[in-house]
Amino acid sequence: MLGVAFVLFFLLLPLLAVFLRVPPGKLLGALGSRVVLDALIVSAKTTVIAQALILIAGTPAAYVLASPRFPARRVALSLVELPLVLPPAVAGIGLLAAFGRFGLLGSTLRAFGVEIPFTAAAVILAVVFVASPLYVRQAIAAFEAVDPNLVDAARTLGAGRARTFLRIALPLAAGGLGAGAALSFARGLGEFGATIMFAGSLRGVTQTLPLAIYAQFEQDFDVALTISALLIAISAAILVAVKLRPRWTRSGSTSPFPFGLST
Amino acid sequence: MFSAVALVLAVPAGGAISGQITILAAASLVDVFPKIDPGPRYSFAGSDQLASQIQQGAPADVFAAASPKYPDDLYAKGLVEKPVVFATNRLVLIVPSSNPAGLHSVFDLRRAGIKLVVGTPTVPIGSYTRQILRNLGLAGVLSNVVSEETDVRSILAKVALGEADAGFVYVTDARTVASKVVQIKLPAWAQPKVRYELAIVAGSKNRAAARAFVARVLAKRGQSLLKAAGFGGASAGGPR
Repeated sequence: MLGVAFVLFFLLLPLLAVFLRVPPGKLLGALGSRVVLDALIVSAKTTVIAQALILIAGTPAAYVLASPRFPARRVALSLVELPLVLPPAVAGIGLLAAFGRFGLLGSTLRAFGVEIPFTAAAVILAVVFVASPLYVRQAIAAFEAVDPNLVDAARTLGAGRARTFLRIALPLAAGGLGAGAALSFARGLGEFGATIMFAGSLRGVTQTLPLAIYAQFEQDFDVALTISALLIAISAAILVAVKLRPRWTRSGSTSPFPFGLST
Repeated sequence: MFSAVALVLAVPAGGAISGQITILAAASLVDVFPKIDPGPRYSFAGSDQLASQIQQGAPADVFAAASPKYPDDLYAKGLVEKPVVFATNRLVLIVPSSNPAGLHSVFDLRRAGIKLVVGTPTVPIGSYTRQILRNLGLAGVLSNVVSEETDVRSILAKVALGEADAGFVYVTDARTVASKVVQIKLPAWAQPKVRYELAIVAGSKNRAAARAFVARVLAKRGQSLLKAAGFGGASAGGPR
């Protein structure tokens, strides 16, 4: 009992301190400052686009990977999870080495007139790189939990692979997919290390909320606190949405949550 | 870059037990300070960031900044002892040795689409950069800025890597990656007064050692090591 209290106290104190350090009036005032608004817009734009890319590419990939017949499945699953356990700084270096001007694909991209570092595209790539494994992994679990008999039944009744995927597997896995999307969204919103190395930090272009916290740390600590409070609120909202998941899930099939987020 | 976090983690070790002092120093001193004295524990970052850390109560013994602004500010608040000037520096424009944008003069920065990296307005290199650009009537080139870095070494890294077309750093930084960057000299008349200040932190638990460190930097050997690295001497008092 005491142990629980201690752990909760330790985990919640820093979050609480953020709110207690600045008077609420000042907090709301700083929320309207240009720096915060610019960072909020950059974060919203890049995270939403990154999330869309993750869903569009990640969902079919997860569906294929969830099939037990997929060759070298275990290897592929491990590879998908690798970025999850990588330090973000390594991701930043890796992205520069791959997509930087003098990176592996740098000259190819330049031939098409594309330069990625220091652009919003760099922020999006960084977010996709660090956040997509969270979604894909959860999506694989969600598709695995779909009763294979239902899929087989749809197929024997004449539905094609695409139709089976869209009408049977997707709706049945929707709950798990939603939870995975929420988690990867939260992770993407908080992305810092890879972004600052690969995309740099420029207000209104590449300076996301976490980068703005870092920049404001030495300029105006109150603004840094305000952005932190904002991110805590958003993260808490996402968490609550995930917890309420059973309400919008359409099948009883669930999959174990990673990181103890199970309901 | 993550020195703020590193510093917080380093706190419990405390200087008092080992007798080792902690020096918070401007990023541009990262190569020369350990040569002057390899003993202390160093934390290098933007001077503004280090000043923030001292204000937040980071346990440190000496603060070495690339501008008098922060030490003087902390002195006025009673957080550090009276600062002393120990070196000067000059700004230079650097481009990657491949020079992807074909820049040959600071005035070439006016071309649209150049990827220029500078410091944030609060870090000394960033404020000096804005000053020199204003002096040159080139404040408009700031529209070519693609990233604002929190310390001079991050600017250096992004140019040396070739990701940025150009960046403003101190001459002493440019020297450390001489094979990777080309320096474009900036007119002496436009140079801002770059003065480095040392101050003993008021909360220092080991003042004797802190004072000894300051003395070492100001002594002949310290000054000649600074000169060898390209800094101007303490008595110079301005750009030359």
